[in-house]
Amino acid sequence: MLRKIKMGKTPIRCNFLNTEAVLEINRNGRWILEHIGVRIQESVLIDKLKAAGARVDRESQIVKFPPALLDDILAQAPTRFVLYSRDGKNDIHLDTGKVYFANGGRVFRILDMTTGSWRPTKLKDIARTATLVNHLDHIHVYIIACHAHDLELQYYHLNDFYHAFNHTTKHVMSGCENLCGVKQMWKLAGFIAGGKDNIRKRPWVSVITNPISPLTFDSDTLQVLDFCATNGIPVTCAPAPIAGTTSPVTLAGTLSQMHAEALAGVALAQLCAPGAKVLYGAVPSTMDLRNLEFAMGSVEMAMMNAVAVQLAKLYQLSIYASGGVTEAKGPDIQAGCEKSFSNLLVAMNGADLIHLAAGMLDSGNSIAYEQFVIDDEIIGMIERIIGGITVNRATLASDVIKKVFPDGNFVMEEHTVEHMMAEYFYPNLSVRCNYDVWEQRSRPSMLSRAKEQVDWILKENDQGLLEPELILDIKSAFPGIQNL
Amino acid sequence: MNTIEALNQAVIRGDIQGAVARTQAALDAGSEVLQIIDDALITAMDHVGEQYAKGLLFVPQMLRAAKAMQECMQLIKPLLGEDQITSQGSVVIGTVRKDRHDIGKNLVIMMMEGAGFTITDLGVDVAAEQFVDKAQEIKPDIIAMSALLSTTRTGMRETIEALQKAGIRDNVRILIGGAPVTAEYAKEIKADAYAPDAGSAVIEAKKLLGFA
Repeated sequence: MLRKIKMGKTPIRCNFLNTEAVLEINRNGRWILEHIGVRIQESVLIDKLKAAGARVDRESQIVKFPPALLDDILAQAPTRFVLYSRDGKNDIHLDTGKVYFANGGRVFRILDMTTGSWRPTKLKDIARTATLVNHLDHIHVYIIACHAHDLELQYYHLNDFYHAFNHTTKHVMSGCENLCGVKQMWKLAGFIAGGKDNIRKRPWVSVITNPISPLTFDSDTLQVLDFCATNGIPVTCAPAPIAGTTSPVTLAGTLSQMHAEALAGVALAQLCAPGAKVLYGAVPSTMDLRNLEFAMGSVEMAMMNAVAVQLAKLYQLSIYASGGVTEAKGPDIQAGCEKSFSNLLVAMNGADLIHLAAGMLDSGNSIAYEQFVIDDEIIGMIERIIGGITVNRATLASDVIKKVFPDGNFVMEEHTVEHMMAEYFYPNLSVRCNYDVWEQRSRPSMLSRAKEQVDWILKENDQGLLEPELILDIKSAFPGIQNL
Repeated sequence: MNTIEALNQAVIRGDIQGAVARTQAALDAGSEVLQIIDDALITAMDHVGEQYAKGLLFVPQMLRAAKAMQECMQLIKPLLGEDQITSQGSVVIGTVRKDRHDIGKNLVIMMMEGAGFTITDLGVDVAAEQFVDKAQEIKPDIIAMSALLSTTRTGMRETIEALQKAGIRDNVRILIGGAPVTAEYAKEIKADAYAPDAGSAVIEAKKLLGFA
């Protein structure tokens, strides 16, 4: 008998670590904040913390959070907000259960696959990586991908953000060295948006800051965090403890410390401006203690980022987590495995925003244009996996099975045409053909196809996106702008 | 097991307190200072180095052994005669201005001390002027600089320029290292040597001073 089935899409969301263990880590993080504390290297903030009821030692700059105070402050953090895109077509709706992906930032070297060698990154690489991300469907946010060695220091952030804005309409995130830098960026963003109120209401740019593990928040970081919180700029203060070196070697220990650091970051933003839009940040990674080699592509890094999601969700906070890094120096087998494991694990656990997910090589020190395209495809596969299997009367397909049996096949059925697009991810790069055809086509690979894609995307999209008149206005209002 | 062997084992095991206690015991029992250094401490570190190179000991264990040796040497140093104190060379080391990362630098210090260099550690966030002042004060053989951020490594260039301005660039060898530092960068800023890790730092330092 056919039952009435009302199920629809069943997105896959996991709890990688059992709840009891997650709660234990949470308890430990809170204990750290209460009994060990964090170091706050900005006396104005120490004053605010003391006034709010924290236990403060001015000489050591160590601040401890009694649990009730911590919860009161954290309760002010908004659970749901949007990271906007300039054209409204790629808004990031945090806390809706959707998993978004961003590339990663501030590398200093690029693998040029046409020459096969590495070179220092330049302003042009910011423009090109922004163009790539703008074009790639599965990378939703552009993080300024690299350091521009050819930029003058005086107007550095005016320029790296300007060129990012000019080559993508997707949401842009990046770190700012100091208060002066973030002010340059915000002034420019307000100008482009047609006024500070506009950009504040629909912020299409946000800022990444980081504490120093263990448990330290330095002056520049705090000033930038304060400026962002106060001006309505979405921000994250994302701890990056490295297990065995700047945090305990045990995964539970690193997670505890990271959790304390992340919650402190959220709390500090709220203290600067209640209701500040802040993401719980998580960039835990590992060190290979055999030789003290940094290992960001380890499976342990993947596992910790997955659990970080569960920790953030205990407080209903949206999370800026990490995945997709590899120690591999180029787009090879190691890169494929390491990136897939981490992006998949963290996505399955439901992270709101997974950064570093595309383009990164060499422990986050290099990029390659081709890697962006390859990672876009890996993410596409992951999106399909976490999209789950739709189970309903139509997809159960008993009617069409009855129709086709005993002698037919399903290829030309209307049912097939009706469902074939929604049911599958169709990769652009993965090679699917038989051996003879593969030979005929000169033995393509994901990499060779990625190279072709890069050439095509960059060739077809080499113009800036901002209106020419606006560009003229910007250049006259901001004489520090450097051309490409 | 006699005291010297026991001390040797304690250092290899990274048993810092045990090693110090056994050093004291050896001294109390009248062992020769040079015998303690050669038969217990240096042979222990040689063994640790071999095991590490084979992948049988990890860095934390190596660091603890090096620390144990350091602590034992603290006990012994006051007893060494002028002619008995040998140093491979003197090094001034620090992490450059605006950079607070120090784990790599500290590992380099331990490896260099283990190899017999005398180290003056300026710490982190060290301005060019501080390197210059210390260089003028103690006239080291090597200035070693570390940076972990692409944005802070310019501190290395600044230091070299400051040494030039002070007229003492040619009196010292510059060794640099850290994640964003490369052999190319070393060439570009005219440093004398570059080392990708702490082990190589010792080798490069020895090369710079003419013995490898």
